[in-house]
Amino acid sequence: MSQELVNAITEMREEDALKITNELLDDGTSPLDILNACKEAMDVIGKRFETGEAFIPELILAGEMMTAVSDVIKPRLAEEATSEKLGKVVIGTVEGDIHDIAKDIVAFMMDLNGFEVTDLGVDVPAAKFVEAVKETGATIVGLSGFLTLAFDPMKETVAALRDADLGVKIMIGGGQIDEQIREYTKADAYGRDAMAAVALAKEWMKE
Amino acid sequence: MKIIGEKINGTRKRVARAIAERDEAYIKDLAAKQAEAGSNWLDVNAGTHPDKEPDDLIWLIENIQDVVETPLCLDSANPAALNVAIKAVKKTPMINSISGEPDRLEKILPIVAEHGCEVIALAMDDKKIPETTEKRLEIIDKVIAATRAADVPDDKVYVDPLVMTIATANQSAVIAYETIRAVHEQYPDVHFTMGLSNISFGLPVRKQINRAFLSLAMQNGLDSAILDPLDKELMAAIVTTNLLLGRDKHCLNYIRASRKGLFG
Repeated sequence: MSQELVNAITEMREEDALKITNELLDDGTSPLDILNACKEAMDVIGKRFETGEAFIPELILAGEMMTAVSDVIKPRLAEEATSEKLGKVVIGTVEGDIHDIAKDIVAFMMDLNGFEVTDLGVDVPAAKFVEAVKETGATIVGLSGFLTLAFDPMKETVAALRDADLGVKIMIGGGQIDEQIREYTKADAYGRDAMAAVALAKEWMKE
Repeated sequence: MKIIGEKINGTRKRVARAIAERDEAYIKDLAAKQAEAGSNWLDVNAGTHPDKEPDDLIWLIENIQDVVETPLCLDSANPAALNVAIKAVKKTPMINSISGEPDRLEKILPIVAEHGCEVIALAMDDKKIPETTEKRLEIIDKVIAATRAADVPDDKVYVDPLVMTIATANQSAVIAYETIRAVHEQYPDVHFTMGLSNISFGLPVRKQINRAFLSLAMQNGLDSAILDPLDKELMAAIVTTNLLLGRDKHCLNYIRASRKGLFG
């Protein structure tokens, strides 16, 4: 039965997903099992996106379905049945830049892969990154920027985070980022895409 | 329908390499091909760090002007780079771009006014990109008040209604058309322009989307675009759309284009 739910979600059938969720609950299926089915579906969609078989609107719809199913389940949960988070990440697009789609995808994929993500949005000053790390206790920071004008704000943000002595690992990503830019900004690493970002984050959590 | 050739843009890897390696032949070839394909302006974007940008822009401009006479569209958000670059151009350029951002208006509009340039005006300011037609029109009101105050004639202004990615904003094409129509109603002498590729980011078969978007936008009043003039299908879409908008007497442009092999 919960395979049906997985299929409904991976096939983007929102109404069916909700219908099946309710049927499963009525049948006495544990909310935790339902959430796990959702996670399985999201894994499938995430992998399809990575290989170019699924596209951004489907990621967005999947996220919406996930939220809809969670809303149905929440009242039935004795306690928050969130799976253990791998780590905490703060992500945002640096000051002066408002490009957000790629950043949103990275945030989404990190969340999918078990990280607790705080997305600060766009045009984020260095001080706000520092504040967010202090507030959340995040150990990983992701800086996004598409314009060449973003390089200096990235450099400043990295400097501010190091100065605050918060012990974070910092990755950068976006348009035209390469090893030269990474060196310039003094970030710990750069990622070409969401897959790379997730892989980096997982590696860093092991250290 | 006027064309701003987009290919000389340092945010593209191959061009970035040519700029870094000072590969004159590559840039000259891109300029010549775009001019031959019918560009009315050639966009020039160095895409490099603000420290290097003025030098890179000058190098690009000199090499382009060596082979073509097409006016340039100087593409930079950096007033310092624009001020340097404008000294190297032979013909009055178009400036890409100003917006409702006070800093940009303050620093770039004077350059536009002083040299009598055409200018692309983005319907956004320093806050989030406006999601509604009304909000974009409000910003354009501000920008045109500023261009008029600086004695820049309305017909030198090319409004970019802003094209958001349709994959994340389902009505973004409709809003772009509505914005063009609304601005045109208020400011009948103003022109329009936009880049075509934003619309299709994140979806499969992007060229197909870009092409149809161009045709629909033309029908709604778009009279110029920043695009790849070497994309034959895109150029064919322009000729075909103009035909269907009743702008091609005796269908001659269409027939000639066909004879020239534009339609593959």
